Amino acid sequence: MHLAISLNIAAATGEAVLDFSRISKFVRQAEAAGVDMVAISDTADGPSSSPFEATTLLAALATVTDKIGLVAAASTVAHQPYNLARRFASLDIISHGRAGWHATMAQGSREAANFSRPEGFSDTDFRRRAEEYIGIVQGLWQGWDADALLFDKTGGRFHDPEKMHLLDHKGEFFSVRGPLNVARSPQDTPVLVLSDLSEADLDIAARTADVILLESGSVDSAKVRFDDLKRRAMAAGRDPDAVKVLTSISFAPDDGPAATADRLETQLRAKSCDGFNIQLSAQHSALGDFVDHILPALRQRGLVQEGYRGTTLRSHLRLDGGGDQ
Amino acid sequence: MTARMKLGAFLWATGHHIAAWRHPKAHVTAGIDIDHYIQLARTAEAAKFDMVFCEDAAGLREANVGIASQTSRSIGFEPISLLSALAVQTSRIGLVSTASTSYNEPYGLARTFLSLDHLSGGRAGWNLVTSASPIEAANFGSTGLKPHADRYERAREFAEVVTGLWHGKASGHDGQSFSVRDPLGLPRSPQGAPVMVQAGASDVGRDLAARTADVVFTAAQTFEEAKAFYDDLKGRMATYGREPDDIKIMPGVSPVVAETEAEAREKHEELQALIPDDVGVALLSSYLSISDLWRYPIDGPLPELPESEGMKSRQALVVEQSRRDGLSIRQLARHFAGARGHWRIVGTAAQVADELQAWFEGGAADGFNVMPSYFPGELDAFATLVVPELQRRGLFRRDYEGRTLREHLGLKRPA
Repeated sequence: MHLAISLNIAAATGEAVLDFSRISKFVRQAEAAGVDMVAISDTADGPSSSPFEATTLLAALATVTDKIGLVAAASTVAHQPYNLARRFASLDIISHGRAGWHATMAQGSREAANFSRPEGFSDTDFRRRAEEYIGIVQGLWQGWDADALLFDKTGGRFHDPEKMHLLDHKGEFFSVRGPLNVARSPQDTPVLVLSDLSEADLDIAARTADVILLESGSVDSAKVRFDDLKRRAMAAGRDPDAVKVLTSISFAPDDGPAATADRLETQLRAKSCDGFNIQLSAQHSALGDFVDHILPALRQRGLVQEGYRGTTLRSHLRLDGGGDQ
Repeated sequence: MTARMKLGAFLWATGHHIAAWRHPKAHVTAGIDIDHYIQLARTAEAAKFDMVFCEDAAGLREANVGIASQTSRSIGFEPISLLSALAVQTSRIGLVSTASTSYNEPYGLARTFLSLDHLSGGRAGWNLVTSASPIEAANFGSTGLKPHADRYERAREFAEVVTGLWHGKASGHDGQSFSVRDPLGLPRSPQGAPVMVQAGASDVGRDLAARTADVVFTAAQTFEEAKAFYDDLKGRMATYGREPDDIKIMPGVSPVVAETEAEAREKHEELQALIPDDVGVALLSSYLSISDLWRYPIDGPLPELPESEGMKSRQALVVEQSRRDGLSIRQLARHFAGARGHWRIVGTAAQVADELQAWFEGGAADGFNVMPSYFPGELDAFATLVVPELQRRGLFRRDYEGRTLREHLGLKRPA
């Protein structure tokens, strides 16, 4: 099964703020345990007690880890698509193909007001805009062919101009010419993670996402949603395995390691998901409990993979594309 | 203690020389190699530089794909992510990046730089620029470039919002270009606020700098030019209630240094010979904001130019130099391709130190932004040859005294 950890870096009230050394220690422990990826939360939606914004934190974490996937949340309201595509393409090169972008399909209630859009967006505008935005970002990530860079000093050919492609996107909300001024990623494109899907977002996600995070519910309802998403992916012409559907689980220390492992195993056996997204709050105690008790319990039952098969996040997730497939 | 000069290491992929990437010893894969940048930052830190500096553009540098493919400038790291990686791989050196006010929002930019500042323990700086490139504009839905004055009005409001957010200003902003409702939410900067850097040299650019900048990067070819700029900018500061010492003025300098002068000249010629004519002319054209320079005879003089909405101050600099030195288009192109209009010194460590000392002690500079012609070789050469010479002369620190970039630069901590 696939295992992601979502780390909410904003500290709970009264807790000491997680500094870089504490966060990096936790991510290295998750790496040692074979976790596929750690997703860093981010919100420009209101005050945060964390000193860090997610993409900058991801870049720093990339230099102190080797294998684990690193995903940062970044909002479609806070960034222009060209700038966001550059940031993540660069993060993917810094991490040697381990980066992902987590885009939420839910509109932050306060965010637009801090980004010179006091009127906000209607839900349908936000959805159409987000879909267009995702298409632009994924298109920009593919602007350079994998073999475009020649580095031919004597011939004076740095790259092959035939292998650099303009995007020339002109849409309802954006027009972006391209190409990106960042090279192609070692895993072809950073991984796209989508969450907070409403009914109307499901087809967008099935068309574009590499990983979909679903809220937890009963095993039966999870199964229904899982099958539905895989069907939609096939209808969009994709291999159902090209979209990984992870069920989000809030980790409650009181449940005990055995009960948590039971819960995951039951869901997995029912084929209601491709794996789990464990949501951890930024409490020192929660991080410690998870590493010391839950991860060993999951490993004992063979639920977490032993080591990493490849070096890119796509290879951890058994997704097609680039790197060491 | 006598005043010490400030030094920046301007990192740019394979090097500042347009043909740097073709040099046999240049690290040609710099634009996709994070370890290369970590090594450069550590070299600069070991030499006690105040900061490393990264430029930025949100688009290709060159519209002509054939020309672009003969340079290494079409791909590279996005600088905020790059510096965030460097932040935890270094411990003392300042980390400054360019970011444009044209295609960002102040709330997002303020958050990102403050996060970099926290990651680095108070070593971050933002170099404010406005974007003049139509290539960039086309990536942001823009139908045309904004006039120079409008870009700077937006930049002024942008800088005001960002500094307000960094200083923990609680009330919202509702202005001409931007509206922001909430404070940032992130804790205050370890150095009070990230350092504000600017580079615009036009009249409105100078006023904006006099009002808001902590550091100003500038391009000057001669002592007189640098001195005039220095005096003018420092003279404007009183209007805004600031002391001359509140801004550090750092001209760009592209040194080619070696054990002997002959060796240095040879190194320089080796690089110049690697510049293809079409690349040199294209680069010169973009600096002059004109598109048809290739129509004119390459060994003839520069034609009369219309005033552009692009980089006004840069254009004047090129024109003045071509008339003064009677340079042909080819000569001018090679000259500019070499150091991009910045000051170049070719010589021994003592000769380079003499020149830097003359500008510094003559009141034309508070320090220098060093632009090595290729990496890593020319940064190494400056660090091992010129820095010890400056230290011997008491012109540069032997070790860091502070922890934050503001402390390195001797800047006041904002209230």
